[in-house]
Amino acid sequence: MTDMIPPLRAATIGSGKISEEHLKFLRAGDPAQLVGVCDLSPALAAWSARQFGAAAAYTDHRVMLEEAKPQVVHVLTPPHTHEAIITDCLAAGAHVITEKPVAPTHAQFTALWQAAQRAGVLLIEDHNYRFNAPVRELGAIIDRGELGEIVEVEVRMSLNVRGEGNRYADRNLPHPSHRLPCGVIHEFITHLCYLSLHLLPTSEDIRVDKAAWRNVGRRGEDDPFMYDDLDAMVSVGAGRARIRFTSQTQPDGFYVTARGTKGFAEADLFVPYLRPVVYPTGFGPLASMVSLRRVAKRLKRDARRAFWSKVLQEGSYDGLRHFLAGTYHAIATGAPPPVTFDDMDRTSRLIDALAAQAEGARA
Amino acid sequence: MKLLVTGASGFLGEHVVSAALRRGHTVRAMIRPASDVTRLPWHEDTNVEIVRADLRQRRGLEDAVRGCDGVIHLAAAMGGDFYARFAGTVIATEHLLDAMTAAGVKRLIATSSFSVYDYRRLRMGSTLDERSPLEARPDDRDDYARTKLIQEQLVRDRAQRDGLELTVLRPGAVFGAHHLWTARLGRQLGNNRWLRTGAWAHVPFTYVENCAEAFIACIDAPQTVGRTYNVLDDDRPTQRRYVALLRSRMKPRLRLLRANFTLLRSVAALAGLTNRLVFSGRAKLPMLLSSAKLLALTKPLRYTNAALKTDTAWSPRVGLIDALDRSLAAEREAGQSAKD
Repeated sequence: MTDMIPPLRAATIGSGKISEEHLKFLRAGDPAQLVGVCDLSPALAAWSARQFGAAAAYTDHRVMLEEAKPQVVHVLTPPHTHEAIITDCLAAGAHVITEKPVAPTHAQFTALWQAAQRAGVLLIEDHNYRFNAPVRELGAIIDRGELGEIVEVEVRMSLNVRGEGNRYADRNLPHPSHRLPCGVIHEFITHLCYLSLHLLPTSEDIRVDKAAWRNVGRRGEDDPFMYDDLDAMVSVGAGRARIRFTSQTQPDGFYVTARGTKGFAEADLFVPYLRPVVYPTGFGPLASMVSLRRVAKRLKRDARRAFWSKVLQEGSYDGLRHFLAGTYHAIATGAPPPVTFDDMDRTSRLIDALAAQAEGARA
Repeated sequence: MKLLVTGASGFLGEHVVSAALRRGHTVRAMIRPASDVTRLPWHEDTNVEIVRADLRQRRGLEDAVRGCDGVIHLAAAMGGDFYARFAGTVIATEHLLDAMTAAGVKRLIATSSFSVYDYRRLRMGSTLDERSPLEARPDDRDDYARTKLIQEQLVRDRAQRDGLELTVLRPGAVFGAHHLWTARLGRQLGNNRWLRTGAWAHVPFTYVENCAEAFIACIDAPQTVGRTYNVLDDDRPTQRRYVALLRSRMKPRLRLLRANFTLLRSVAALAGLTNRLVFSGRAKLPMLLSSAKLLALTKPLRYTNAALKTDTAWSPRVGLIDALDRSLAAEREAGQSAKD
């Protein structure tokens, strides 16, 4: 069906690491024709254009919007630059796919959304981990009711952001995310929030019960980190979510656990696997053994997949490809996008509520 | 001359500043904001002005360059993924070149690398020199080689566009204290084992002091403008001889594992073929299974430093044995200081 849709004219702004994943999709896919890439560095813009087959390289996004006239723009610059760049793209009549967060605050997000509505185009935030294979599989298990009603979700990211050589720990040129309202964690909090909200039963009643923002590894007065640790409890209707970011525990991992009235399932999105624990009926006291055996079989399969994923450099961005494919299809056909206004709005509101607690912690 | 040296607190940079001072130059040493200057032997020298800047951002660069007669550009990213290396090597160079243009400074010694050559297109046993072909398929190589290739092309393009007086130096494997084991010899396995990949390939070594003096010899020699030179010592031992010399001086000795080059090459070729046929070339192969990477580090070739010696007054002053002894003595001294 997508073969019949003419490719959309696409462009990217920002040629850092995440751009590689977007550009691989744009290079390979039918739905887009890459008409331009833009970066402040002429060398990086030129390299990206050559590497990914863009028609032209630019160092000024306004010039690119004017000359290349893209229908879709991927905004891949640091978060603090999003507002101005997205505003320019919307004013040029381009649909915008942006890296998270759309904007640091819910008020800024709302203003950008309204601008998109006025321009008659889509503004879509990348919620890529929602579309990673283990999360899609987990979603299907939940939808089939195998876990019963979901009452608890835990989303835990362990990242050694303070480690030697880590870009967030660079004291020579502090990473721009240190300037976000919640510092470096703000760079990741969108993932933690949209996954929590995605897996719990939908409710507009979203409350932060408790949020401990800490700087556990603080090193002296000139420590660039505002926080390196978050432990938050959130209520979403009758469901509860624990949102956890830590730079202390190893190995690095991104774990999602959904607990329901019949069973639970745990996934790691960095070394992808899914471990659903549901006791089958009809096995009496042996149900736990049967469940364990099924888990072992599944883990063996997932280990093989993880190995080949590593060999083939697929990384943990398989969800991004699904997300982009769905988004382009939505733009081309008018179908609902894979990430809706409600998804972004609820995520942004939850981030705002968590950030308010961070402000309280600082005060 | 007044010289700006970028990457001045690095392994090579520290010695380049010392060599410049010995030749009577004054130096503006650019180091990164968080670097510790007190370990640098010249940090209190009155002929050295220390400026702190990070080349990944433009702030302060024009002022750092202004008033200098020439720039020796050594700074490069030595770690991180491709994009981190691109920022620390290519974008950093871009910013420096912009600052030089704005400040009206024309003379530049740019540091490239032996990694830019195309080792697959060189015949076994042939001589690699400055005219040897550059890597035609950079994506097959590691991120260091990829970014150094882009950087070298960038400085050449900008030199032509902006009328810079450019000399490009390509040091071989720079060795010295704390940098005695290089990837051209193999790789460390665990704490006390070394896998030597090959035996009879000559290693294009350059001792760090000799290499540093080559940079200063070039800045002192106007005839080097517009030229490219390989920098390497006269004594270029085989992997086997170098490792033997080094192990005989070490206590305790590293345990040595030997891998045959022909066997490694065959396995890498088979892995490459499998990757192309089965995975459409998508698999990322480690050094030992990648022909391009393996050959770049261990292909038996001959080397020459004739061009640099002909055009400048430079000759490697410190011989191999002396260099090893100095390096190990410096390591012992550093270890003792750390204990004290």
